Amino acid sequence: MRTALQLILLFITSTAFAQTRISGAVTDERGAAIPGANVSIEGTYDGASTSLEGVFQFETSETGAQNILITFVGFKAFRQLVNLVGEPIQLQVALREEINQLDAVVISAGSFTAGEEKRRTVLKAIDIATTAGATADIAGALNTLPGTQKVGESGRLFVRGGDGSETKTFIDGMLVANAYSPSAPNTPSRGRFLPFMFKGTSFSTGGYSAEYGQALSSALVLDSKDKAELNQTDLGLLSVGGDVAHTQVWDRASVSGKIQYTNIRPYFGLINQEIDWITPPASIEGSTAFRQEVGEHGIVKFFGNFNHSDFKLNNHDILNPNQKTPFAYANNYGYGNASFLQALNDSWSVKGGLSYNYNENNIVLNDSPIDEVEKAIHAKLVFENTVSDHVELKFGVEQLQSNYEASRIDSLSLKQTVAFSTPISAGFVEAELYASKYFVTRAGVRTEYNGLIDKLNVDPRVSIAYKPFTYGQFSLAYGQFRQATQNQFLRINQNLEEEKAEHFILNYQVINNQRTFRAELYHKRYANLVKFINGNPEQLTNAGDGYAQGFELFWRDSKTVRNLDYWISYSYLDTERDYLHFPTPSTPSFASAHNFSVVGKKFISEIKSQVGVTYSYSSPRAYNNPNSESFNTGRTPVYQDLSVNVSYLPKPFLIIHLSVTNVLGRDNIFGYDYSEAPDSNGNYLSRAIRQPAKRFLFLGVFFTISKNKSVNQLPNL
Amino acid sequence: MKTKMLILFSFCSTLLFANDKYEQVMQTNIQSIYKAQTAEEMQQSINTFERIGAAEKSKWEPFYYASFGYIMMATREEDGAKRDVLLDKATQVLEKASAIQKNDSEIIALEGFIYMMRVTVDPATRGQQYSGLAMQTFGKALGLNPNNPRAMALMAQMEFGTAQFFKSPTTSACEKATNAIAMFDATSSVGPLAPRWGKETAMQVAKQCQ
Repeated sequence: MRTALQLILLFITSTAFAQTRISGAVTDERGAAIPGANVSIEGTYDGASTSLEGVFQFETSETGAQNILITFVGFKAFRQLVNLVGEPIQLQVALREEINQLDAVVISAGSFTAGEEKRRTVLKAIDIATTAGATADIAGALNTLPGTQKVGESGRLFVRGGDGSETKTFIDGMLVANAYSPSAPNTPSRGRFLPFMFKGTSFSTGGYSAEYGQALSSALVLDSKDKAELNQTDLGLLSVGGDVAHTQVWDRASVSGKIQYTNIRPYFGLINQEIDWITPPASIEGSTAFRQEVGEHGIVKFFGNFNHSDFKLNNHDILNPNQKTPFAYANNYGYGNASFLQALNDSWSVKGGLSYNYNENNIVLNDSPIDEVEKAIHAKLVFENTVSDHVELKFGVEQLQSNYEASRIDSLSLKQTVAFSTPISAGFVEAELYASKYFVTRAGVRTEYNGLIDKLNVDPRVSIAYKPFTYGQFSLAYGQFRQATQNQFLRINQNLEEEKAEHFILNYQVINNQRTFRAELYHKRYANLVKFINGNPEQLTNAGDGYAQGFELFWRDSKTVRNLDYWISYSYLDTERDYLHFPTPSTPSFASAHNFSVVGKKFISEIKSQVGVTYSYSSPRAYNNPNSESFNTGRTPVYQDLSVNVSYLPKPFLIIHLSVTNVLGRDNIFGYDYSEAPDSNGNYLSRAIRQPAKRFLFLGVFFTISKNKSVNQLPNL
Repeated sequence: MKTKMLILFSFCSTLLFANDKYEQVMQTNIQSIYKAQTAEEMQQSINTFERIGAAEKSKWEPFYYASFGYIMMATREEDGAKRDVLLDKATQVLEKASAIQKNDSEIIALEGFIYMMRVTVDPATRGQQYSGLAMQTFGKALGLNPNNPRAMALMAQMEFGTAQFFKSPTTSACEKATNAIAMFDATSSVGPLAPRWGKETAMQVAKQCQ
């Protein structure tokens, strides 16, 4: 009997004891029902999902103090301690949204982000590689975006009335001192880094974060790829050379190497050139990348490359074209970048890096050699703290050191050397504060101490963004930016202060359903620009100044027509400067008032090809005609270019790529050079600065050898 | 003495009962995830799996099926960005499964399935990266268990799509589909919680092959 009683007791305890009914409703902060939320007694099977009306109800046999846990994608988990004693429990819960959601406001003023394919971005990493006319050059592709001015004879990024040196490139946060390959005078240079190396590109035309210094107009921030996932060997046969690359992958690490040889010599034999080459450009380049994952979310990256390039040409005198001056140029370049990223715990992470840049130019002009060596080192340490999902804090310290040495042999066969070093110490702190999902403020300050001129500067930078509509948002940015005077001027006067710019930007952006619209209005003030005293380039001051202002429009649509993706950019620029040799404030020769471009890409599955077309237009640019009484009043013809490219995929592991720039063969003129002295009639003679060849034709065949044959190099093109 | 025995016995039976409960609840819920048609039904099953997973701690199956559920939801989601969010969730819960059960052929096959679905969000941009990764992952799953019919079926589907695109022979893809069907038919006597989905995928490919 006693046993039986015990048994019953035991049975009752284990099953039938105190069923508690729990019910309630789950909503978001504004009271809208959340269907599908998971409600549970933490650590047990018991629970339920909310219905379409956001209500739930279940019974539990658990007793005592228990946690009720409610979770749903995009919301913070909710926990509440309850005491289960058989009494029904009724809950009314409003879940708090996580800020980092798809539809949260972002700071968009001045910045174009490509990559991070999961977010709604304006551009994708692959867009940079597949834009016709860009021939897989990062700057070439970004030159189709608003805010840039087409400067065909340079190939660099000229942003909002700034010259090419005002755009700085950062790889994994580290400044790259010489981001472009050398090119002959008045011929476009290419970026040293190929787009396929990067998973993300952020191109800012102003108002960028306090993390980035020494850039007056624009920051191009490139994030290199993480660990590779596939073993593969790539071979490329190009009309101008060839390359071979191999990637080897381990569980937590990957290493890849690439050797590339480029020689335009055979090509220049085929197509008539504007330039009198003695030996056309050739280069050899090797690069290597290493990735190692550490801990749970950490990664160590190393990238290094070496490049040698050279060419030799004849400069022809303008007055007497038969008088030739030989010009020889050789460049040796080495770059190493090591960086790491490590999460310290859930809220803190640390990243840092060290980069080294070696650039050596050997120029022989008319048998007299000039040598230039620049060594730059950059060390950086940044801490990031997610204080809450409403507050992100970032701060860091940096040290930049650049050593410059130039030497030449003077007319008495004596070696003349100029050497100086510019140490810059910097610190920055920046906070991103979300008042809600719809309003964010980013406020930061950057301090820099330049050891060469013994000067400390403090630069504030602020951005806000507000999203009053479901898809549309406004963004405002203000900031002060500085950069050390270029070496060519410091060589003459090492007391020159840093040049300064102030940006004011207003932006409106809508991204919805693979369509993007952006409009941006800006004003930029320049101060401390280098100015020649009485037009004498040997006497320099910081008395120059200037402004740039304008508006820009951008439209992209990948949706309306199947497999067709296109974007249209328009930029209006009004700028004047009083700097260098300018006798009066005037529009610099690199600036054009109207820039317009249309980029289209379509995949045509019938011919297994991606076809791309780019049209660019720039309004006339100013040049100074010494025969004219007024300064800088000459105007070039308009610039127009139509480029096409085709990528054909006959087999999964093979791509044939053909691109042609300036299909219509338009004779674009970028400006005029004038003779240094007038001729016998007192006239200065001119020579137009033209494209080196009307068209540039590129043909490449790319193979990929991997274990499975579905891999190809398309994203690399 | 008798009492002690009794207590011991009932203790054991509670344990047994607990284990039975796991299998029983899992089986019911596995049936419902296979049958689920609407997003609500799928979310409900997923939620149950996630609750079981949180309670059991040492069982990988709840997370495996929760992940499978999110993938199924992703296959029905039109908006690419939202599909990515679901695939993020699928990855997140699958990581919990693989933390418990390392180097499991089924878990790895599902990982490959996620990569395959990533391609569909934006084939032009992601085709190269994720299709290679998916194939590699299916290969890894088959390396661990050459008779995993799901890995074989998914691989057949992926290969068939690629071959169709390049208008190259589908022979290899079709062989894989036939193999997969044979494997599905051969592996009838597995555990009650073992995955059984995927035969339709193989059948579909085989049908297209004819």
